[in-house]
Amino acid sequence: MAALLLRHVGPHCLRAHFSPQLCIRKSLPMAMSICHRGTGIALSAGVSLFGMSALLLPGNFESYLELVKSLCLGPALIHTAKFALVFPLMYHTWNGIRHLMWDLGKGLKIPQLYQSGVAVLVLTVLSSMGLAAM
Amino acid sequence: MAVLWRLSALCSAQGSRALLLQTPVFRPAHISAFLQDRPTPDWCGVQHIHLSLSHHSGSKTACLHWTSERVVSVLLLGRLLAAYLNPCSAMDYSLAATLTLHGHWGFEQVVTMFIGTFGRKLPRQGFWQFQF
Repeated sequence: MAALLLRHVGPHCLRAHFSPQLCIRKSLPMAMSICHRGTGIALSAGVSLFGMSALLLPGNFESYLELVKSLCLGPALIHTAKFALVFPLMYHTWNGIRHLMWDLGKGLKIPQLYQSGVAVLVLTVLSSMGLAAM
Repeated sequence: MAVLWRLSALCSAQGSRALLLQTPVFRPAHISAFLQDRPTPDWCGVQHIHLSLSHHSGSKTACLHWTSERVVSVLLLGRLLAAYLNPCSAMDYSLAATLTLHGHWGFEQVVTMFIGTFGRKLPRQGFWQFQF
């Protein structure tokens, strides 16, 4: 599979996402683009898994919530777990809004790209912390 | 509403390039220049000429698909907010439908980027994705 892809690359570095050592530079927009797709796939898988477990596992959501509460895990651990769960969702949401701004034709210049990228990262961390604290 | 008009106007202006720009993350310089220096009053005329020149009915479908993807994304954003503020079963159903559609189209884009559409060896979407 990798050889097949490499054969078709030609002078352009199409393997940039997977083999940065093959490409000359990696940059923030590229990393954020990978993460956008990665979080999208992870979220999709998560939603499908949630739906499947709702169908297959016994009991309802409240019973599982009670089970987790009865484990008496420390608040730090719970907060960390909630942060880890909500971080991909927030990243994908804010970066998605950034994509929609590009589709409107705004913010396509290179410095704006980096600025909006940093803004998305900051917003992601802040909103994840806010939602995890709820 | 104005947002939707601008999105659909953008979509039809791209015409036969719509297939190429199904994942319009980073565009080549001449396309972004076109988007940013457009004269607003005459723009409708320009996009109409683009449409009449393209003889592929496939590009119109791709164009519609592109617009629908953006519309569903915007709808999903609104749904997420509305579902938190106003939980009810109708909201659950619409959220499930929007989420499923958005996830399916997004996954399709990732697959197309790496594997290409039917009959192509080189995924051109992947090519433009990395052109910066």
